[in-house]
Amino acid sequence: MLRMVKRKRDKRHRRRALLGVALVAPLVIWLLLTIAYPIFSLIRLSFLDVGIIGTGGDFVGLANYQKVLSSRTFGPSMGRSLVWVLGNGVLQTLLAFVAALVLNLPFRGRALARTWVILPWIVPTVVAVIVWRWMLGTSGGIVNTVMLRLGIVQEQIGFFSTGASAMSSLVVMNSWRFFPLLTIIILAGMQGIAQDLYAAAAVDGASAWQRFLNITLPGLKPVLFVMGLVGTLWSVNIFDVIYLVTGGGPSRATMTMPVLIYDMAFLQYRLGRAAAAAVLMALVVTLFTIVFIYFLAPRGDDQDEAWR
Amino acid sequence: MISKFVRLSIFIALLVMALMPLQAQDAVEIVIWHMEQPPQRVERVQGLIDEFNAANPGIVVSQDVQSWGDIYTKAPASVVAGNAPDILFAIPDFTPIIRELGAVQVVDDFVAEIDETHGYFDVGIEPYTSDGHVWAIPLWNMAHAVWYNIDDFAEAGIEEPATWDEWASAAEALTGDGRYGIGVPANRNLYTDQVVYNFMINAGASDIYNDDGSLRFNNEHTVRALDFYGMLSQFSPPDSPSWAWGEAEVCLGSGTCAMVNQFAFLRSYEANGGDPANLGVMAMPVDAGVEDPGTISYVNAAMILTDDAAKQEAAYEFLRFIFQPDNYGLFLNMEPGLFLPITESGFESETYWSDPLVVKYRDQLETVLDYSRSGRLFGFTGGQTFPSIARISAQNLLSQVGQLVVVDGMGAADAVAEGEYLMMEAIE
Amino acid sequence: MSDSKRNLAIRYCLVFVLMFVIIAPFYWIYSSSLKESSAIVAQAPSLVPQSITLDHYANLLSSSDYPIYLTNSVVVSVATMAITVVLSTSAAYGLYRLPFPGRKTLYRLILLAYIFPGSLLLIPLYVMLSNFKLLDSQVALIVVNVTFAAPFSVWLLKAFFASIPFELEEASALDGANWLQTLLLIVVPLASPGVASVAIFAFITSWTEYMFASVLIVSDANRTLPVGLAGIIGQYVIDWGLLLAGAGATTLPIILLFVLIGRFFVRGLLEGGVKA
Repeated sequence: MLRMVKRKRDKRHRRRALLGVALVAPLVIWLLLTIAYPIFSLIRLSFLDVGIIGTGGDFVGLANYQKVLSSRTFGPSMGRSLVWVLGNGVLQTLLAFVAALVLNLPFRGRALARTWVILPWIVPTVVAVIVWRWMLGTSGGIVNTVMLRLGIVQEQIGFFSTGASAMSSLVVMNSWRFFPLLTIIILAGMQGIAQDLYAAAAVDGASAWQRFLNITLPGLKPVLFVMGLVGTLWSVNIFDVIYLVTGGGPSRATMTMPVLIYDMAFLQYRLGRAAAAAVLMALVVTLFTIVFIYFLAPRGDDQDEAWR
Repeated sequence: MISKFVRLSIFIALLVMALMPLQAQDAVEIVIWHMEQPPQRVERVQGLIDEFNAANPGIVVSQDVQSWGDIYTKAPASVVAGNAPDILFAIPDFTPIIRELGAVQVVDDFVAEIDETHGYFDVGIEPYTSDGHVWAIPLWNMAHAVWYNIDDFAEAGIEEPATWDEWASAAEALTGDGRYGIGVPANRNLYTDQVVYNFMINAGASDIYNDDGSLRFNNEHTVRALDFYGMLSQFSPPDSPSWAWGEAEVCLGSGTCAMVNQFAFLRSYEANGGDPANLGVMAMPVDAGVEDPGTISYVNAAMILTDDAAKQEAAYEFLRFIFQPDNYGLFLNMEPGLFLPITESGFESETYWSDPLVVKYRDQLETVLDYSRSGRLFGFTGGQTFPSIARISAQNLLSQVGQLVVVDGMGAADAVAEGEYLMMEAIE
Repeated sequence: MSDSKRNLAIRYCLVFVLMFVIIAPFYWIYSSSLKESSAIVAQAPSLVPQSITLDHYANLLSSSDYPIYLTNSVVVSVATMAITVVLSTSAAYGLYRLPFPGRKTLYRLILLAYIFPGSLLLIPLYVMLSNFKLLDSQVALIVVNVTFAAPFSVWLLKAFFASIPFELEEASALDGANWLQTLLLIVVPLASPGVASVAIFAFITSWTEYMFASVLIVSDANRTLPVGLAGIIGQYVIDWGLLLAGAGATTLPIILLFVLIGRFFVRGLLEGGVKA
């Protein structure tokens, strides 16, 4: 009797496991087809001497990798990608934290503000590019006009004219677009923190800063971990904003890895080499991901929270 | 079950998409890709297509407008994928790339026919001639000149400069009070390539190649050109490293710049608040001792990609229609001033000269037309064409050299040497 | 001034600054798109249009296929949304509710789909889609957009699925409901704020996508709004009036949509209290 029940339970368990696999399968197959297969053909391409897309190529072994690694452009572009990711990471996190803390305070119209803070994120990249290029321009650009009038500058500024200013302007533009999503996610994470913790801390006489440090931040760790990971992956791969605004210039100052790869593939007509650069970049990003997960993954009693 | 449902719906969606193109096709269909995106150009081309389609029941021409920004990606990919257009517009350095894919048809006979009936100008066919054949049908010419605000010159008591010394002092005198003496781009794009090359031409450095195909970019004339270009840049607005043609237009039209080096954009000059009586145009000043001054000019052309004889004939028929002087005038005036006639009969065309903007700016346009006869293009000088120029210009190496000087503050000689190194790397 | 009053003042100042950073560029687009061309590029632009003209919008409507682009964007975004919701809800249910070996590894791996940059997948995807004769079709864009929207969606759903008591499911099973009935009638309704957020996330991801749409779509009749808008930028001429009208008109539908459903997106996420 007992055995029958157990067998029945086992069977039910197995059926539920099978169902789980079946339900996950469509998404996994979808991702395999659209990501794994292209990655495979990209790796293949990186060993071939292909120039223009659509022409054939011979197997050249590691020659493409050699060329990329010894080129003058690869190292600096890796460095710029690092600057780009760090700049965006720091600025977006900062903005999002401030915004989330502000939106977590009680004030009139808070529900409205919480909805509309997302506005920059719902705007197509192209629109953001047009608007910012125009606002930062010198022919009727509002930012220059206001700064001139307020006497902050004596002469109009070319925001995309020097390497440093172009990079900073792009980071600001891009952060403006993406910090709202991060704000909402952080805000949601704050909602998930038990309110009685704050009440208890208030009784103990903890300052606002202490409460933030000891309750809010630890409570947000799981969210911050995932956003840190996904956000980094998203931003390292950003191509369109940079390409549409500066095309990697001036003088290559904003040529991050994705732009360099595009440049190699479609302007230098060295598809095989571009594929090798792409594979190298993916390797570095994968390495980063492993390190990130290894050192920063939240460790908890909850099995589901632990990433390793 | 859900996954079944998903698969089913994807399958149905695929089926619907696959069946959509299966419409009855009696007429020969011709697809044109061109990169003339501004709405009124698209509209003008569509008007001509509609008229042609109505008159030729056996042929259906349609246009898909692409952008110069991604055509270098999209066109090769479309050739590979087998959905390339039948007619693809081109500039001289774009043609070798599509040729490498083996997709461009030889058009010797048709170009000879148009030459016979309408008389091509000399500058037309050469850039598209290589390996003993003509690879595209020249459609129009474009040429730079120096445009300026007459009032600004009068106010400062300046005459049109003819030499580089006069030009430099004019630019300096015109700078101040929120105005810049001259707008000189330093972006990495085609516009900057063009302007840098203008300086090279007028410093006596037109040729990038020796006769044997080796590079002769690194010479004293190129250095002189880049040096002067860098010097003039200090009188240019601070955002010129991010300029394309449009910004230069706005700068001149709005009065922020006193001079720009530019094509003839009559329409946008008008829209930006310019006044025809105030718009001056002149040849680019020349460095001392240079005997063969000139300007950059671009002959745009149409490549035939289809290998189907019936489609080729239909494409020719459409182009014959376009070259009819009355139609050709309308065709060129899709952007009045910018597109200059490339045939004798087009030059005489009544519809070309009767466009309201052309009438209004006729004096300026005649100056440009006259000047365009000295036009030339980097990599296509000296009577020979080397296909490797496509790689040099696709990477905008001339503007990269310009940026080394203007943005990075490198000396002209070092920048030019670096430029030659980059060119060699590009064409190895 | 008392401390609490000063705090209040600081609070509203902060809110004002935040909302200014968010909204000012939009005000500037719309107010300037109503100005005359010469006033747009004037050296001293006025904060409020001195004279109002709808010319740029009229020009936009007459000279571009705005209604077609809009329709295409809506079709692609709605289809992306529907497929993403189905795929990610089903996957999230499997991952967070059903015990199968390797599921924990799997749900971590799914987020790692973002390791590979889109710009790098562009070439192989192009060739692959062309083999399936899907180039220049909305299906191509839907396929790509789902790929980029689904992984994050699965993660967003976690908090909602994890918090549903197992007892509810068991009770439903005892009542004789099969798994699909349990999923659709018990689990999804309880997770509905999350599902709504995912739907909107997928919609926006698709709505704003530019790179793939610009390369995978060839003919004008299949273009989405961002690509159509990029089409009027042009390189030779900048018509700021037309561009701003285009930017405004491209943004308007999504703003209107957000007026209607925006609160569900934010509220959905906030109610779920996202956990990793």
